[in-house]
Amino acid sequence: MTKRILVIEDTEDNRQIVRDLLESAGYALIEALDGLEGVAAAEREHPDLILMDIQLPGIDGYEATRRIRAVPALATVPIIAVTSYALSGDEAKTRAAGCDGYVAKPFSPRQLLAKIREFLPP
Amino acid sequence: MSHELRTPLNAILGYAELLADGIYGELAPRASGVLERVQNNGRHLLALINDVLDLSKIEAGQLVFTLEDYSLAEVVQSVVSATEGMARNKGLAVTAEVAPGLPTGHADARRLQQVLLNLVGNAVKFTDEGEVAIRAAAEHGSFVLSVRDTGPGIAPEDHGRIFDEFQQVDSSNTRKKGGTGLGLAISKRMIEMQGGTISVDSALGEGATFRVVLPIRVEEIIDEAAGGSGRDPAPVLRGAA
Repeated sequence: MTKRILVIEDTEDNRQIVRDLLESAGYALIEALDGLEGVAAAEREHPDLILMDIQLPGIDGYEATRRIRAVPALATVPIIAVTSYALSGDEAKTRAAGCDGYVAKPFSPRQLLAKIREFLPP
Repeated sequence: MSHELRTPLNAILGYAELLADGIYGELAPRASGVLERVQNNGRHLLALINDVLDLSKIEAGQLVFTLEDYSLAEVVQSVVSATEGMARNKGLAVTAEVAPGLPTGHADARRLQQVLLNLVGNAVKFTDEGEVAIRAAAEHGSFVLSVRDTGPGIAPEDHGRIFDEFQQVDSSNTRKKGGTGLGLAISKRMIEMQGGTISVDSALGEGATFRVVLPIRVEEIIDEAAGGSGRDPAPVLRGAA
């Protein structure tokens, strides 16, 4: 069955890049534009993996991750954080919030796909 | 500001990689060639933006140093791992000789790694045959790191200005070799702010040796750039030792 990935990302271009990349790799996408919408989509859709941008309008990716983790049915869904380059200590912060993986921007689509496949083997 | 500069460029590089990977269909050979140029220029611009932002942070006294315990051997090893692929592609070897039993260091290890990566990266870029040799030792309370290459060498009259912004000895090389012309200027500031020195020993035709001397334990950051007294402490985060 096709694996479903929830992408929580406020930048239109980043969403399109991820969409084009992941759909061509055979995944189905669910998209959310901010943290609150992302938490709601996670509860509604129960995706197989979540890509979480950290710098989001409204609640940020750390808070959104904590809220998703607080939902029992979503306690183990893999969450990969996507954060900006050069903010040191980010990786530890994303892990503390409950993320399983970490990709720093600028990411190359190839690297992102490789990271996703660690959690969702093709 | 960094976010504003990088976001659109990341989108350009992202779409370019998808195009190159054939996600949008197969490209004609000429188009692939042009796309590769787009990618190379995009990556060069990204490197420039990163370096200019680093330098402007240094000049504004806003670069935050995180002082923590570290293993110099691990720093050297990580730089060897990061550069040996690029060296192998050119038929070069990167060797490392780390003196046994070095003490634990205390400094901003990530920035030290950035400096060493820059020196080794430069050495590989400018050397067409032979080797790049890294040595690490300790003497008189300081670590001494050297990076020796068998490249074309640098004339003594150019030794001063290669540490200035946007100065490569032969500016026609900048594009060919892919450097930003800012790496050594940034390295010099990062080492000097931690109380160390960086220097070069070279002559034309004889390769070059860059040497970094850094106190084994860096306890304060010297911020000449922040103006005023010239000794305003720069922001320091103390790592959990």
